[in-house]
Amino acid sequence: MATILNKVKLWYLEKRLTSHEIKLDFNKNYLPIKKKEIDEKYNNKCVMMNLKMKNDLLSYDISLGIKSEFLAQEFETENKHIEHKYHWKKRALVQTLKRKNISAGEELGKLENEKNDLLEEIKSKFYPKSLDETEKEGLEVKYQEIKNSYLEKKNLSTNNYSTKLEKFVSKTDEVIKNYETKIVAIKKQLQTLEVKVDNGILEDGELLRLDHLSMNFGGLKAVDDLSFSVKEGEIFGLIGPNGAGKTTVFNCITRFYKPTFGEMHFKNKLNDITDLNGIVVHNIIKEGIARTFQNVEMIWELNILENLLVAGHTEYRSGFFGHLFNSRLLRQEEVVMKMKAQKILEDLDLFQYAYQYPMGLPYGTLKKIELARTLMVNPNLIILDEPAAGLNDAETEALVKTIRKIRDDYKTTIFLVEHDMTLVMEICDTVCAISFGKKLAIGTPKEIQSSKVVREAYLGGE
Amino acid sequence: MIYQNKMSADRKAKFSAIKHHPYFGFVIITFLMLIVQLLRVSGLDIPVALLRAFGYTMIYIIIALGFSVLLGYGGMASLGTAGFVGIGTYVVGYFTNQHEMSIFLIIIITILGAIIIGAIVGFISLRIEGMYLAIITLGLSEILNEVFKNATTITNGTNGLSLDGIVLFNDAIQVNHNTIFIAIAVIMLFMMIITLNLMKSPTGRALLAMRNSQSAAQALGVSIFKYRLLAFITSTVYALLGGVMYMTYIGFSIPSSWSLAFSLNILAAVIVGGAQSIYGIVLGTFMIFGLNLAVLQQIPLFVQNPAISVVFNGLLIIAVIMFYPGGLIRLIGSIGHQIKLKTQQWKKKRRAYIYGDDPE
Repeated sequence: MATILNKVKLWYLEKRLTSHEIKLDFNKNYLPIKKKEIDEKYNNKCVMMNLKMKNDLLSYDISLGIKSEFLAQEFETENKHIEHKYHWKKRALVQTLKRKNISAGEELGKLENEKNDLLEEIKSKFYPKSLDETEKEGLEVKYQEIKNSYLEKKNLSTNNYSTKLEKFVSKTDEVIKNYETKIVAIKKQLQTLEVKVDNGILEDGELLRLDHLSMNFGGLKAVDDLSFSVKEGEIFGLIGPNGAGKTTVFNCITRFYKPTFGEMHFKNKLNDITDLNGIVVHNIIKEGIARTFQNVEMIWELNILENLLVAGHTEYRSGFFGHLFNSRLLRQEEVVMKMKAQKILEDLDLFQYAYQYPMGLPYGTLKKIELARTLMVNPNLIILDEPAAGLNDAETEALVKTIRKIRDDYKTTIFLVEHDMTLVMEICDTVCAISFGKKLAIGTPKEIQSSKVVREAYLGGE
Repeated sequence: MIYQNKMSADRKAKFSAIKHHPYFGFVIITFLMLIVQLLRVSGLDIPVALLRAFGYTMIYIIIALGFSVLLGYGGMASLGTAGFVGIGTYVVGYFTNQHEMSIFLIIIITILGAIIIGAIVGFISLRIEGMYLAIITLGLSEILNEVFKNATTITNGTNGLSLDGIVLFNDAIQVNHNTIFIAIAVIMLFMMIITLNLMKSPTGRALLAMRNSQSAAQALGVSIFKYRLLAFITSTVYALLGGVMYMTYIGFSIPSSWSLAFSLNILAAVIVGGAQSIYGIVLGTFMIFGLNLAVLQQIPLFVQNPAISVVFNGLLIIAVIMFYPGGLIRLIGSIGHQIKLKTQQWKKKRRAYIYGDDPE
């Protein structure tokens, strides 16, 4: 009884811990974004205020003869405008006159005069004659008054801005601290509670372990008593001739198939050992296993950025009604997730495609995008189903680089099935060769290359 | 002069911010729908048939919106829409005529009922796909139709059920048609906004993922069970609400109008317009229902031979599906694009002419 109670308590605490951690992560990510937003708003306000002040002071500027940059610019644009207008008029006149065979001299002179008159008029508007002393003083006083009022307004808004920013920062800091303390407390509780979870199943450094896995389709044994383990942080390759059952193994791990016999254990995001047999297909991603497919599976109606966001689907906290009414939480989450997706795309040199639709993009790029999509959930283990299928040599080389980069930068483990032997031998730390569902050999690429059994399986025996 | 220019630029920026707001178009559509009604209220003599045409169109837009969530996003074709709309109408008729219940309470009851019905149908749909799902929902609709015909105590059988009057809070009131029209317009606006939010949200994306490939969606963490149920429940709620509005506005419901033809018309409206765009759905519904009711019925040729309008609709559907499988909204989009390109070219030519080499 006590053990059952303990287990329930453990489950509850773990659930709370994960939710707190997600909230903490969200707040930490949202802080700089919101700061930037407030900054931008303030800057825009300043620019608008400056513009308004200039507009209000313009007439005074003109009559007082203050030569501001703004004024000079306006003057120039007006001049240009008139020049263009008369250029047009002149061309039209010349053409019509040509048609009528009349010499253009007089008419053109008239036009020139008109133009000069207009230019002078504008000049007098912008640079009027000098004023009397008394008039000038009065104007200057008014000018100063308006300027001062604007400066006061500006000061007020800067004060507002700084207080707003401080308030927001202190508030979120408080929230973050609150969550941190909560998490620490829960962790302490967990330590005292922790009934020894069967850590014995996985050895040190192991991430995934298959024991005696078998999968039968009717009378056919697709996988037959297969067992191996994947270590943390390595690139693990599964090879074999056609029909050896590699993809079946994948589908067993990702729960698309239910294995007839055998156990699979996995160290998930929370460093807990989970039995993969007890998990539903769509929850496998929550444990930290993300996969790609043999033929790219894109969502063709969405652009690349939104395709990435679909993968982040499990990280949203807002519910259906939040989505219906576009709630504030949803909007915040969207911003955070979009930033995350953009960062991943930038890391993999895919940012140029962010707002394009997948239809019509080259196959290699789509494969890369699928790889990027797996990264949205911070996975422990990325499963790649024939990543180099259908790629040319240059694309394969680029793929090797990106796979290595993902392993190093995002600190994940990669498990791949591949036919391209050069890729496997170049990239993998450990290779497992299977044939007809049975394990032939496991070891470093060199060991596999020199193995007799593997050669026989591929090339046939004597 | 300069001063005024600057200020107008400021105002322009504000207006463009409003113009590019995603809900702006919906408000415009609602306003356009309301124009006829407003003219009538202001005293102009406008035929009731024209007014009714706009009312029908708005109700059908709401139903089609729900259907588009199911077909365009969930990727499931259902032919049971008519039955669900029928249920909505009879719920209103039964509860107001026999229990004198408030209309607001009835709306809540219909939403709850729709959730239950949608969940049941969604649960059936879990194991069935494509054409077979359409056949099963068609069967369901026919069963409902038979129920409407034979449950005479509630539905008054094939004679049709007419509404005595709407109960707002306590007493039965003969509510003015004009106010109901305006209320329907407001509800349509609300539904459009909600649907857009849903389509652009993570839920909409998850539905699209499910539509493209179920296995890929599952690998991305989308639960097929949850989202299929969600799509069915959403579309059923829309259909039943449409039924409620139909009964309150028209005041009469007869089983023969909830037959297969109605479901097929809604399907056609969604496909002709474009299943994934709200403007497309509005356009498609107007083409299938509104055009016939509001425009063609005013032309003597069509009034004398009502069959011609059906032929016209059929030809329209064939043309759209042959040349624009994405719906009429694609056609409009491409025309707009062409116009943009042409104006750009023209501007370029003009600029070259002005600033280019002088012929002198």
